[in-house]
Amino acid sequence: MKAILTDITKCIGCNECVKACTETNGLGEERAYRWRADDGLSSERYTSVLRKKGFHVRKQCRHCLEPACVSACPVGALKKTPEGAVIYDDSRCLGCRYCMMACPFGIPRYLWSSPVPYVRKCTMCYTTRLTRGQQPACTEACPVEATIFGERDALLSEARRRISDNPRLYLPKVFGEHEVGGTAVLYLSPIELDFLSLGNRLDERPMPERTMLAMAVVPPVFLGMGALMGGIYWVIERRRRLQKEKPAEKADNSDGSSDK
Amino acid sequence: MKRLLAFKSALWFVVGAAAVIATLRFWNGLGATTALTDLTPWGFWIGFDVTGGVALAAGGFVTAFAVYVLHLDRYHAIVRPAVLTAFLGYLAVVVALLFDLGLPWNIWHMIIFWNPKSPLFEVGWCVMLYTAVLSLEFGPVVLEPSRHPTLQKLYRLLKKATIPLVILGIMLSTLHQSSLGSLFLIMPHRLHPLWYTPMLPVLFFISAIGLALMMVTTESLVSSYLYELEPETELLQGLGKVGAWVLSSYALVKLVDVALRGRLDQLFAGTFSSNLFVAEMLVSAIIPAALLFIPAIRKKPSGLAVAAFLAVGGFVLNRLNVSGIATIESTGTRYVPSWMEVVVSLGVVAGAALVYFFVAEHFNLFHVGRIDKERFRYQLPGFDPRSGVINADPYTGGFASYSIMAVLGGALALALVPASALGETPIPPRPVTAPGFGEEIIIDGDRAAEAVLFNHQEHVDMEDGNCASCHHLLRPREQATGCSRCHRDMNLKTSIFDHTLHIARLKKGPGCVACHSDIDRPKDLAHSKPCLECHTGMIPEGAAIRPRDRSRLALAPGYTTAMHGLCIGCHEKVSKDMDSKVNRLDQCATCHTGKERALDPMNPDVR
Repeated sequence: MKAILTDITKCIGCNECVKACTETNGLGEERAYRWRADDGLSSERYTSVLRKKGFHVRKQCRHCLEPACVSACPVGALKKTPEGAVIYDDSRCLGCRYCMMACPFGIPRYLWSSPVPYVRKCTMCYTTRLTRGQQPACTEACPVEATIFGERDALLSEARRRISDNPRLYLPKVFGEHEVGGTAVLYLSPIELDFLSLGNRLDERPMPERTMLAMAVVPPVFLGMGALMGGIYWVIERRRRLQKEKPAEKADNSDGSSDK
Repeated sequence: MKRLLAFKSALWFVVGAAAVIATLRFWNGLGATTALTDLTPWGFWIGFDVTGGVALAAGGFVTAFAVYVLHLDRYHAIVRPAVLTAFLGYLAVVVALLFDLGLPWNIWHMIIFWNPKSPLFEVGWCVMLYTAVLSLEFGPVVLEPSRHPTLQKLYRLLKKATIPLVILGIMLSTLHQSSLGSLFLIMPHRLHPLWYTPMLPVLFFISAIGLALMMVTTESLVSSYLYELEPETELLQGLGKVGAWVLSSYALVKLVDVALRGRLDQLFAGTFSSNLFVAEMLVSAIIPAALLFIPAIRKKPSGLAVAAFLAVGGFVLNRLNVSGIATIESTGTRYVPSWMEVVVSLGVVAGAALVYFFVAEHFNLFHVGRIDKERFRYQLPGFDPRSGVINADPYTGGFASYSIMAVLGGALALALVPASALGETPIPPRPVTAPGFGEEIIIDGDRAAEAVLFNHQEHVDMEDGNCASCHHLLRPREQATGCSRCHRDMNLKTSIFDHTLHIARLKKGPGCVACHSDIDRPKDLAHSKPCLECHTGMIPEGAAIRPRDRSRLALAPGYTTAMHGLCIGCHEKVSKDMDSKVNRLDQCATCHTGKERALDPMNPDVR
């Protein structure tokens, strides 16, 4: 599985990745729309470079190993490809925006100004470059190799090597190795990266697992409810029939439908 | 009857206003009429119309359960109104959803593209099937008066299918009423911990039953008030008694759940969210349950009304909280619905209410039979020429006056909508801000994060006053064109060619052939005269930067690229020269010191 490793200490904040992304995906001009968040991402920008505590931190879709958006989409418009990219299919989408609500990183953005709106987010350049054997535009454009592309396992061991080579520079963990079940976009950082997630309350449980139980009991609840209702109906109906057949014996007792 | 006519007029007014807003919503997109943002993509339409609406329409399956499954025959009188309310409720949910969906014409995709992992997929299917079941359950009421043999046959068939339909309806309702709660299980990062619990589906289901009982009570009281019928107090107090038990069990389950999750301390933390939670619990369950447990209160229509209104309001608040208000603290984004969203929601409800009244006046909805329209015939306005008095009744009903109300509502809405909803204020792309001119210039094109302090005078001295070294391209009749005049966007290439201006200047003279000299070739950049053939003075003597393709000057690179391209070349050269007074000139931090604060975007001229 492919992945991206971004080393916060190496980034110089030149925005070449943003520029390459904008050009490769044919994105338009940024506008100061009311609905824009202040993290630089929008339907016109799939990546941005944030400035935090003196470091430059690139924000983009994390391409989770078990993506919340993919499990949330009612029509399967979002898909996790075998290469690792989470991609979006315009033609399937019905615009419910459940993916935007489900994403723990608040990544998907919407074309709010359009009468025919779609969801927009980083696709790891899946159709334009990945399927042609090229790496994403952002990692290729980086002049200092702060953000690099490769196999996830290889990048993880490279990240661990950098940490052990320079333990004082980095926090001793690879961001994205375990959070929400692991992500394909990894970070090495000397600072906590809480601000990249929405609500700062991530743990290591994959998001789709949280609905799994509720969805698993749907068929038994459906059938069980049917059986229960049918059973209650049958029992009461039978009791009534018996009462009608023997009206003399049970004349003093009411039909059970009213309590007094 | 005056109240009914006044009420209907008000409903038509709201429908008219909502129709105008709904049109604007489809014309100019969701952003123009709603207050939704990238980080709060669900708002009032999902919170009130969809999660609230489905729960409000739960009366259909609960009463059907009581009457057909439990054989509680005395409640038969309220089955038809309850099923109709449910049917109209679901239709209203679907209509409101069509407004909220970005691509509503793709709603049928759920039928062919499946994702069984998604709770929304399940809710969609259940709502679709249950709406169909409700239409079949209610079908007999519409078919009953018809005399046509085929319709009579269909009527008898549907009557026979009542029990299977009712049971199927209960099965589907159980699923989607609870699954609406499952929708939010995937958002622990958004929902406040007091509300977020794996029990959400169970809580949604129990509260739907409680809300159903209270909604049936409300609906029955309101229709008997409007149609001036005797309130069915005896039946309703029975519902109230059951309701008291359901509501109190709901409150108990909810509190036990909070306790088991160890969040009891947050209940009285005094924050916005914890107060909201306590208020919601009191209004939706605890107070109505307490009122309904007292026989003296639940045997009076006014007592029932107070309890039912509180519970209905409280549960709508609960749905709004789960789908939005309780996420404010975690996401840090504030969303207040625009008045246009609220009007559309009210319009959908008003439309459903009007259909309800229509059915009540034309079919056997209530156990007293069809509402006699003659009772509501009102005097038409008349003029008495002898006394000169106009006998006008302000509540005169009828097609014309309702239409006038609808048109008035629409007109008022149109008058009040902001310009942004009409699509009149396109927001310009974020332009580069020109630096203030002086000896020292603060270069801060995007007015974000940090700026670069640039000593202009020093550079002028270094270049012996040769402006062209840096100002490499001049607009006509200019000495030194500022960077941001051409490099207009931070990142994107922008065109510096103004076709309209050229047409205006050249139409009296040579016309189009001035540039498009060969009229048979396509009129594109490749087949046009190079700019420099006319604009000979555009590139000044001694310019340090030369455009890559001198004959074509159409696209200027982004501001960042331009500034870096201009400065870095010289800086690297000078820093190699060991005699240079300034060391480390090739390092980023020499210019990007991190000390220069960004300019305030609101006050371009104030540092």
